[in-house]
Amino acid sequence: MLGTIVQQFVNGLTVGGIYALIALGYTMVYGVLRLINFAHGDLCIFGAYVGLVVLGSGAGSGHAQLLWLGAAFLVAAVVVAAAGVVLELTAYRPLRRADRLSAVVSALGASLFIENGIMLIWGPQLRVFPSNLLPSMHWTALGARIDLVQVLIIAGSAVLMAVLYWFVHHTRYGTAMRATASDQDAARLMGINVNRVIISVFLIGPAIGAIGGLFIGLYYRQVYFTMGWNYGLSAFIAAIIGGIGNIPGAMLGGVLLGLFNAFAAGFISSSWQEAITFALLIGILLVRPTGLLGERVAEKV
Amino acid sequence: MKAVLDGINRPWIGAVLWLAGLAVPLALDQTWMFIASLFAVYAIVALSQDIVLGRAGMFDMGHAVYFGVGAYATAILNTQFNWPILATWPVAVLLAALAGAVLSAPIVKLRGDYLLVVTIGLNAIFVLALNNNLARMTGGPDGIFGIGVPSIFGWQLASASAQFWLDWVAFAATLVLIHNLDRSHLGRTLYYIKHDQLAATTMGIDIRAYKVLAFALSAALAGFAGTLFAALMAAVSPGAFVFTESVTLFAIVLVGGQGSIPGVLLGTALMFVVPQAFRQFAEYRYFVFGIAMVVVMVLRPQGIWPRRRSAGAKA
Repeated sequence: MLGTIVQQFVNGLTVGGIYALIALGYTMVYGVLRLINFAHGDLCIFGAYVGLVVLGSGAGSGHAQLLWLGAAFLVAAVVVAAAGVVLELTAYRPLRRADRLSAVVSALGASLFIENGIMLIWGPQLRVFPSNLLPSMHWTALGARIDLVQVLIIAGSAVLMAVLYWFVHHTRYGTAMRATASDQDAARLMGINVNRVIISVFLIGPAIGAIGGLFIGLYYRQVYFTMGWNYGLSAFIAAIIGGIGNIPGAMLGGVLLGLFNAFAAGFISSSWQEAITFALLIGILLVRPTGLLGERVAEKV
Repeated sequence: MKAVLDGINRPWIGAVLWLAGLAVPLALDQTWMFIASLFAVYAIVALSQDIVLGRAGMFDMGHAVYFGVGAYATAILNTQFNWPILATWPVAVLLAALAGAVLSAPIVKLRGDYLLVVTIGLNAIFVLALNNNLARMTGGPDGIFGIGVPSIFGWQLASASAQFWLDWVAFAATLVLIHNLDRSHLGRTLYYIKHDQLAATTMGIDIRAYKVLAFALSAALAGFAGTLFAALMAAVSPGAFVFTESVTLFAIVLVGGQGSIPGVLLGTALMFVVPQAFRQFAEYRYFVFGIAMVVVMVLRPQGIWPRRRSAGAKA
């Protein structure tokens, strides 16, 4: 019993770390634009596919293999960040002053475009990640099996989140970002280049999300073109649970949702897991509409 | 452009087009007759989505639920309890309306985006319930087959043309209903709530009651479309009521034009009829939709065929 609990805890923490990385992109965009970037989940999975291309082109073992792995993360992050900026410039910026629903539909359209673009490039079938990317090491603790890939994902997400937290709260640029999120007009009056801040949000969010997407590929060892919807939706729920627009909230929400899902699947029912997740979301929104850490954000109408 | 749109934006032109549509079975083959029937059914759902979204201003992205409730009500009553199709109509409509009222009552207080996410959640739970064969009645992922044909006064509407005329008449009834809604007390109240909730409250309007009413009415209409859909397809399965369908309905309203009858019909035609003509490119369908959604929104943020400005005020 203890073994199962520890096992679900480790599994939940792994998935939660991934959710948190993806949730950050949603919450940062929502913070500055009040827009649900529905295309974000698909961008993240796009990152997994780009990473897979790099991994597939490099054969080798040992140290060379780890080098390729690092390159895959780097290339995925750079390519997806570029895609994020293109997305902002073409699909969202022209709609900055339009009805907010127009931007939502534009985001949905962009999501369909990316998802089906992935299908047209890489095909509709499952793509499998090579099994020899990481040394097959695992530890056994308290009756639970902890794989190397889980340690990598948990540690990687924790480091990335710590760096982002530091960046947002302790640098001038991060302060500009928070100022833009809390009041765009006032930020502009303070001399902040709001458009540059928005561009940087669309660089950082997708870059981190791409790493999350590649983690998904490494962990489940397969990717599928519609995965962006599912993981995007879960990550988005995580962002709302934590309080959308709030960066530490997205981290907390991601980890909590990962743990919740793992225990719900392990102890209640795995065929109803999605329903349980949404029930949790609806419950939280009805009791505390701003999420766990969220402050009231004024809504543009 | 605007003068042209205004010129053809008149109800009598719609009536003429509808009458011309009656000739579809005489002029076109079985396939196109089926497509025209499907258009009529989806136009009803899209118009019902527009009641909540375009007229009352609530971001409902789970509208396929009510469509599905109507379709499954007819499917279950017909195949498992041997009810005639027409007898299932009132039950399907009432159940859908009830679902709309019960599901929306606790959530209409949520503001825009939160409502959107919760309705996505309701849709996901609904589809999961269908897939998991809730109460052993929904048939799981395969759905329900062998739904009978409707019969009126002993006359079986078995042929494709008979089904088409049935759906086409239902479509006309919906158009009249929506047209009158715009000019009714309820329609104007919803319009008011959408544009200035605070002012509506100070005028003594019970916002929550009207929002729930809008959901119930819109769900009833979607449920009606659902029962027509079940009879037309002779089968229902969860795939027709998934979240992507809700997104498509949502997009139809925004791409066509919120609160605009011709706009919503145009959107329905773009999303459901045009792909039929390009079926050999089926795998590009959603790819092209995606680009089109972005391009239309960027070029015409109010939709291709927006509601006339004066429509609400004048009527």
